[in-house]
Amino acid sequence: MDEKKLEDVLRVIELCRSVQGSSANPFDVDIREKIALLKKRLPDWNFLDELLLDSEAMLELAQIVRLQDEWLKHRASALYIDPFLVQLKVRLLSKEELIEAFVRSWHPIAQLDQISPQGLEKAFSYWRDLQPLSERFRTDFGNYGVKPGSIDLEGLLKMRVFTQEEFDSELKSLYDELMEKSGGEWVDYREFIDKPKMEEKVIRAYMLAFLVSEGMASLKTDPLTGKVSLMASAKKLGGTPKSVAISITGES
Amino acid sequence: MMEPTDRALLERKVRKAFQVLILQRGRNPGVKGWELKRHLGRDYKKIIEVLSEEMIGLGLEVFEVKGPDGTDDTSRFLLRFRDPPTITEAETSGIRIDDLAVLASSIAFVNSKQGRAGRRELEQFLREKFPKWRVEYSLDRYVKRGYLEQDDKALLHVGWRTRAEIDEKTLMTMILSRGSGEVSSS
Repeated sequence: MDEKKLEDVLRVIELCRSVQGSSANPFDVDIREKIALLKKRLPDWNFLDELLLDSEAMLELAQIVRLQDEWLKHRASALYIDPFLVQLKVRLLSKEELIEAFVRSWHPIAQLDQISPQGLEKAFSYWRDLQPLSERFRTDFGNYGVKPGSIDLEGLLKMRVFTQEEFDSELKSLYDELMEKSGGEWVDYREFIDKPKMEEKVIRAYMLAFLVSEGMASLKTDPLTGKVSLMASAKKLGGTPKSVAISITGES
Repeated sequence: MMEPTDRALLERKVRKAFQVLILQRGRNPGVKGWELKRHLGRDYKKIIEVLSEEMIGLGLEVFEVKGPDGTDDTSRFLLRFRDPPTITEAETSGIRIDDLAVLASSIAFVNSKQGRAGRRELEQFLREKFPKWRVEYSLDRYVKRGYLEQDDKALLHVGWRTRAEIDEKTLMTMILSRGSGEVSSS
């Protein structure tokens, strides 16, 4: 396939499309020249794709001829006035003058809006078959709009966010990381979970909650400063666990 | 001289034509030629002419908007005001009077561009005179109501409703003559 020759055809298609997609003058496209070019290239095409491209170019040229026809008809009509003059006039006229010009050339349609027996019957059927709002939302948007709730590990495994093996190995590596960083000291919770991506941050926070619940780490909060600290524990801790709510935002 | 039975038949058909035209059936006002043929018979255009004559006394007329192929069957027939309303009457039409200025400018701009103008191009032009929110809101509304047509390339054309309700020649003449102290309504 000769790329150079194909490029010529593609250029014709592109030119035609750009003229069709704007208010440019369709006579800017030299139809004779473009058809001569397509005619010259036609014997070179051997494959179906090339022939289809050639037909596409012809179709686009035909659309330009249609636009040229419309253009001529418009120019020949009494509506043709120098575009710059019209635009200048509209710019200069006040809103009131424009309204007056419009109203003096306006013939509003006279009509009556009324409900027919057929319309009434249609409305009744629609209302009868209309599902409650909650049902419609479920069909249209799935779970969109459901209030936030809680999800446990089993739920996440079912959703295939984790497999059990992945989860266990991630939990182990997080525990090792915490053990190494804390070394018997308290570390800042937010610094520890911080990652560039929000998803990673949430996953680390989620897994830390497991470590703390399992007694593999302790967590304390300072009520005055709001600072949350963590410390890894070499031995599994006992005692009564307490719930702590920690919000996680995109900021570190 | 027309036979009494023929006259009665004609009167009945004219009444029927008026009822068909005045009641809005679909989403858009007016009735297509093929529908009128179904209601009034093959000579429906003659009946429409008689009705149009009779409507003069009420200040109305039957107006035909040619369809895409130019045949009578695809034409849309509708009843419209024979003479333009006053500005006070226009204010009761449901369209905000300020929005009419946007429509007048849009039609003039599209016509000045040989009947098709890019939406963004028109928006930019209108923003010189009207606030951005009004321009976008009004254009959407006029496209929806059939005064303007927008194609898949975001080019705007004059819609069927403009061809039905607005005497574009008069509008263009009025716009050009404003400010020069000369007014023409031909």
